[in-house]
Amino acid sequence: MSDSFLTLLGAILIAGVIVLVMWPGKGLWARWQRSRQLTKRVLAEDALKHIHQGDLDGRHATVASLAGALQISMDAAAELLAQLQTDGMVEMHGGDIALTPQGRDTALHIVRAHRLWERHLADETGYDAAEWHARAESAEHALTPEEIDQLAARLGNPTHDPHGDPIPGARGTFIAHDSVPLPALAVDTPGRIVHVEDEPDVVYAQLVAEGLHPGQPVRVVEVTPQRVRFWANGDEHVLAPMLAANISVVPLAVPDETVHADGTLADLALGAAAEVVGISRSCRGSERRRFLDLGIVPGTVVSAELRSPGGEPTAYNIRGALIALRREQAERINVNFQKLAVDSK
Amino acid sequence: MATLALEPNGIKQDRVAALLDSAETLRWQIGQEFHEQLMEDIYTDAARIADRAVTRPDEKPRFDLDRTIDHIVTSRLWGFPLMILLFTVVFWITITGANYPSQFLSYILIDTIQPFLWNIANAIGLPWWLSGILIDGMYLATAWVVSVMLPPMAIFFPLFTLLEDFGYLPRVAFNLDNIFRKSGAHGKQSLSMMMGFGCNAAGVVATRVIDSPRERLVAIITNNFALCNGRWPTQILLATIFIGALFPVYLAGIVSALAVVAVAMLGIFLTFAVSWGLSRTVLKGEVSTFSLELPPYRPPRVLQTIYTSLIDRTLYVLWRAIVFAMPAGAVIWLIANVTIGGTSLAEYFITVLNPIGIIFGLNGIILLAYVVAIPANEIVIPTILMLTVLVYGGSGAGAGVMFELDSQLATRAILDAGGWTLLTAVCVMLFSLIHNPCSTTIYTTYKETGSRKWTAVAALLPLVMGFAVTFIVAQIWRLFSG
Repeated sequence: MSDSFLTLLGAILIAGVIVLVMWPGKGLWARWQRSRQLTKRVLAEDALKHIHQGDLDGRHATVASLAGALQISMDAAAELLAQLQTDGMVEMHGGDIALTPQGRDTALHIVRAHRLWERHLADETGYDAAEWHARAESAEHALTPEEIDQLAARLGNPTHDPHGDPIPGARGTFIAHDSVPLPALAVDTPGRIVHVEDEPDVVYAQLVAEGLHPGQPVRVVEVTPQRVRFWANGDEHVLAPMLAANISVVPLAVPDETVHADGTLADLALGAAAEVVGISRSCRGSERRRFLDLGIVPGTVVSAELRSPGGEPTAYNIRGALIALRREQAERINVNFQKLAVDSK
Repeated sequence: MATLALEPNGIKQDRVAALLDSAETLRWQIGQEFHEQLMEDIYTDAARIADRAVTRPDEKPRFDLDRTIDHIVTSRLWGFPLMILLFTVVFWITITGANYPSQFLSYILIDTIQPFLWNIANAIGLPWWLSGILIDGMYLATAWVVSVMLPPMAIFFPLFTLLEDFGYLPRVAFNLDNIFRKSGAHGKQSLSMMMGFGCNAAGVVATRVIDSPRERLVAIITNNFALCNGRWPTQILLATIFIGALFPVYLAGIVSALAVVAVAMLGIFLTFAVSWGLSRTVLKGEVSTFSLELPPYRPPRVLQTIYTSLIDRTLYVLWRAIVFAMPAGAVIWLIANVTIGGTSLAEYFITVLNPIGIIFGLNGIILLAYVVAIPANEIVIPTILMLTVLVYGGSGAGAGVMFELDSQLATRAILDAGGWTLLTAVCVMLFSLIHNPCSTTIYTTYKETGSRKWTAVAALLPLVMGFAVTFIVAQIWRLFSG
């Protein structure tokens, strides 16, 4: 009896140790990997990125802001800056920290790597939107310039990352949007989302959950100090102004009619028919191509035929073929409902 | 780009640079996602042209047979009962139908041809070790696998393919998709899982119908938990002689049947649990897209279906199994018959493995049998019986040759002599369900995924889980039984 007890105890101990070491993200192995990554080079690159971002936003980086961004002590930040200065990456102009041309090139390289990697994660893998940023944060330091150029070529030299941030070109050109935060868009002016801020994580996760994505048309209905009410993605959304300010939009000259879609395919009642208005911008990569292959393009008439006894998926008649789609997918197809289920010619 | 700028070729470097600069500036002016925009416009144009140019006959006949069948087989009321009924019938036909040809094949291959081969070998004076390796080793293992494996597969696969050909199977996937979705899998995994009840190698091949990369890997790695044809007999035998025997005779049959069903259900539960775990951890980064077409029904082409399922599935799987079983037969014969200092190799291995086996509620013989019988689960029990007789003595066809007994009492007697208890039987049943897939399946997994990494996961994950489960069961059992 005590024998088995000891053996069990031993096994639980061993299992506990394995979990402690191997637990993804928080285990000792993951910590060790991270600490190994946090080399001087990585810190220097992150510092350059931070200073560059400060220049873009028009607020100059300071030792304090650097220490905060990199989560290091003030002393370490000052030491880091001194090292960067010796390496010819930054210069001090009066009290301001400024990048040298070489420092700017390095910063742009890192930004380019980060945003291209996010694009890769969005288009070519199955990772959640909430994970893109953290994964790119570690990939950006590991990619060589050649790998980055190959990646860019494979992705078709994209100009923007999945959050709508511009990706610096191989030759360093890079143009930011003339965008305004969503609450600043005049009521009833047609607009388009160009950027969804991916930090802080909690806010971004909430915006993703709302189905908001760069490329979608928007129309603001109401702005009060308490809330912003707007149409996007075939649905009406209500957000606190603080959250809405993390969405950047540009006004459109020509209104985009997809903003006025009645709803999504998921709302279609069994037996009813609807006309496809468009596929939501949040649907990307191979999933989007699959939809196009099935013939889900603007103008296609789709009718809901069968529902699985499990509640989903639902089978739709799409151009004569019976295709089952899960709810999550049907929610990404914006449609206008047809009043009568008449013949779909 | 870079090479162009480096080549002299009379092109001025600075003009190339200017050209590249203006190209990059232009890219910004086109705007984001112009590739996608372009592609979608092409699709939209194509659809518009097709709609204008193609005239369709007035569709919608008064009575749409397809839709009527669909409304019945996917209805809330009838969907699941119909499905259960249909598959029960398929399994019943397979099990009862396979019994007779199995016995017949066994009679021909093992009881008739094997002695005949021995007569020839003796007549032409082959040395004993050569005829032993060839006849008692390679031939016997192959004959065993063929007679156990061939009849059920020759019945199950054509039946399954007929349902597929008729168009019913996609509806099953449609009905079950929600359960699979919750564990991060694809509804079509229900089909590869059911195929796995016939043979895991065929089940792994059947995952080809899943077109989403992540869900396909999930289906391949978890297929092992569908109790295959080679393991059903092990479960039934052990459930009957160890678990059923605990109860009075009138209950024994139903109790042992329930025990086997419980093991199969545990397998289904593990399929979902492991699918859930995999799709949230190691497979998180794989692309996932769902689509499921429900094709029109059509009358099954019976003869063609039987022919292709025999050739594609049955013979293919059988051939691979034979290729793997022959060398295994030779190895099994060798370890039992090659002796060093009067003790066979098998006994050395068993002495080493025994203490390890005990920790997991098994013993050295069982572990050794699982190692050498990796090519085919069908020969695990015959190997265990042979090794037990070899070590402990007793009745049987003779030490050193695989055998099975007609009498369950005699089988029980041999296993009892080998020190088996109820715990051993339960642990072997669990280990048989969970442990690594057979080498045919591992090879097929490699062929299908083309990846060493995923093949290793598919082989090692169940092995580790098998040991973990038997360990916990054995230790807790001993803790409480004192």
